[in-house]
Amino acid sequence: MQIFITGYGVISSIGLNVEENYNSLKNKTSGIKLTDSTIFKNYKVGSIQYSNEELAAMFNLQTKGSRTAILGMIAAKEAFKDHELSSEIRTGLISGTSVGGMDLTENLYKDYLKGNFNTEEYKHHPSGVTTIEIAQELGLEDCFLNTISTACSSAANAIMQGARLIKNNVLDRVIVGGTDALTEFTFNGFRSLMIFDEEWCRPFDNTRNGLNLGEGAGYIVLESEVSILKSNSKPIGILSGWNSSSDAYHQTASSPEGYGAVLSMRGALEMSCLNCNEISYINAHGTSTPNNDASESMALKTVFEGNVPAFSSTKSYTGHTLAASGGIEAVYALLAINRGVLFPNLNFSQAITETQLIPQKIFEEQKRVNHVLSNSFGFGGNNSSIIISSLN
Amino acid sequence: MYYIHAISSISHQQTFDLDSIHNGLVKLTQESPLITPEFKDILPPTALRRLSPILKISLTTAIRCVNDSEFDGIVVGTGLGCLQDTEKFLLTINNATSDVLSPTAFIQSTHNTIGGQISLFLKNHAYNMTHTQNALSFEISLLDGMTLLSEGKSNILVGAADEKIPFLELLNENLIKTEYSFTSLATFFNLKNAKSDKGIFVKDVLVLANSKKDINEVILQFLEKNQCNPSSLTKVYHSDLEISLSTEKVNYLDFTGYNYAASALAFHIGVSKLSEDKGSILIVNSLIKNDLGLILLER
Amino acid sequence: MSELKEKLKAQIIEQLNLENLTPADIKNDMPLFGEELGLDSIDALEFIVLLEQNYGLKITNPSEGKDIFFSVDSLAAFIEKNIV
Repeated sequence: MQIFITGYGVISSIGLNVEENYNSLKNKTSGIKLTDSTIFKNYKVGSIQYSNEELAAMFNLQTKGSRTAILGMIAAKEAFKDHELSSEIRTGLISGTSVGGMDLTENLYKDYLKGNFNTEEYKHHPSGVTTIEIAQELGLEDCFLNTISTACSSAANAIMQGARLIKNNVLDRVIVGGTDALTEFTFNGFRSLMIFDEEWCRPFDNTRNGLNLGEGAGYIVLESEVSILKSNSKPIGILSGWNSSSDAYHQTASSPEGYGAVLSMRGALEMSCLNCNEISYINAHGTSTPNNDASESMALKTVFEGNVPAFSSTKSYTGHTLAASGGIEAVYALLAINRGVLFPNLNFSQAITETQLIPQKIFEEQKRVNHVLSNSFGFGGNNSSIIISSLN
Repeated sequence: MYYIHAISSISHQQTFDLDSIHNGLVKLTQESPLITPEFKDILPPTALRRLSPILKISLTTAIRCVNDSEFDGIVVGTGLGCLQDTEKFLLTINNATSDVLSPTAFIQSTHNTIGGQISLFLKNHAYNMTHTQNALSFEISLLDGMTLLSEGKSNILVGAADEKIPFLELLNENLIKTEYSFTSLATFFNLKNAKSDKGIFVKDVLVLANSKKDINEVILQFLEKNQCNPSSLTKVYHSDLEISLSTEKVNYLDFTGYNYAASALAFHIGVSKLSEDKGSILIVNSLIKNDLGLILLER
Repeated sequence: MSELKEKLKAQIIEQLNLENLTPADIKNDMPLFGEELGLDSIDALEFIVLLEQNYGLKITNPSEGKDIFFSVDSLAAFIEKNIV
């Protein structure tokens, strides 16, 4: 059974929808900047320059929620825009998030510490509630809903679970991806790990020094062939392979040889029955931390036996959007396939000494992009890889 | 078929390292403590020093399920995740007197720390997933485990855990509104297609979210789909719901307390009951309004 | 100097939550990141917090810490040298 992709939606610091994101990718416009917020101090972040109220008004949102939920609603609605709900098509929603409603909770908690207690608004906190709010905005009722929280691999895992539930005849159609808003909690958390770069990040560069945080949401719609006959939707790609494995090395660091990453990439390739040389482009996890990029580079060389195809990290465009990254990058994979383009790895100048890998440096058009591998690796040693293929 | 092999729980009941737990259950009060083993006899000190309560009880019960072969899938459900470390880091941010912040609480605040710690401890490289759909996290994890077995895997660890912190009490009056005491608990078990000694298996699982459907109707349809005559059910364990079936009914919240992972402990109680006598047991989880989880166990 | 080292050992035990250890268990020249204590990269960050919060000394690059945190001896030497 083939898993078709019949919709995509995204919001990030480089655009409020798919077209805006594409134009920024094409024009090499990064969304990573200094903000005037006192929270982020002098660190550059990839933030969406609108408040929750502005976004809700711009997108005519009917459901209240945290910023994470709002971003999710916007992207999920775009993905589902050409679809209609039907009692004949079992439709579900699986969303990845690490932040949940923390953007609201952390402010409520500050008030609580000052002696002002507003209990009701905590209702938006649980990560599962974020997904319910997105479902409510889509009008999804009496359905399978799930939230996956595996840090930075959450959205990729949501995509995987959706495909598996279709294959196992639990669902016919499912909206899958992830969302995370910028919060003081995660910002300070990453700061405590001393994992930021004070400058604009440089994925896979020898001088890279850390990541820039970002926010956003990205979703795709997966459907079985039988469902497409009923929904009449137009496929834009195929989800041809996936795998999730564990590094089991350390809670926050990846093993030097990228063992878990090797397993997840090989597993995805095996499942899709593709040879290494059939992969046209890899959207790497590429967070720009010394550890990830070294580890991922080693893993790429191992899996592709030194013949690594064109690859890039788009995180120097969007920042690291944590749980949303796998969803946003799945959308970018579809764009690469359908527009026949390769996205550059911005801000690269010098290859990593130990691995000498050189990422895609320019935006290239008129390319035959048949199969894209996308990596998402999370804290806890969770390594996930998906492969999206063209319809031809 | 989805057979349940080893199973282990830590809760506010006498459940740990007991073959049978369903007979000694007592109605919980606010004063009922979490009943834990001596962790230092089970977990190494280097790990133990950092672990919050939810991590200790999860890792301990997971370890009890280890068998001769490596797990080829580890699936964890948690509704609210690592609350103690989440609150600790919020306090760290708000009480900071210097520029640097202690990272340990942040690292352990992510929901998948439970699964991550199990994978690290067992040096396990298999599929490792964390589902966090509020009170349906256990049912979804169980369904995921069953899906893994259908896909050709053979030895899965499934579990759920949630912990209480004093802050939940503050939210009770105006938000949560439960009369049951808040608790912490962890239940882990080993799911395989190979038949177990007792032969207890999961017949079916239903997850229905954001739904205003009549629960009793959904239950009848679920039982019919599984060719299960309601009158043949040994027991129905429910989360304080008016069940229209005439079968023997037990409100499991009396024994689990208010906890997003409560249906996992109810699952263990059901398995324990079936270990005594053949039959079938239905678990009805409607802890959160508009969310329904159904599990049918058989022997 | 030995008073500082004893104080440091107590602070290390507290910051890293080494609840099963007493200051007597940590020898002055023992490699802190060796086999015995089982410390990792997260603990290295906690050392940075310890130094700033207790002694006002900033380490901006975690990799600088490797030599400084090698043992109680090297930590004490660093503090003595840099404390105002």
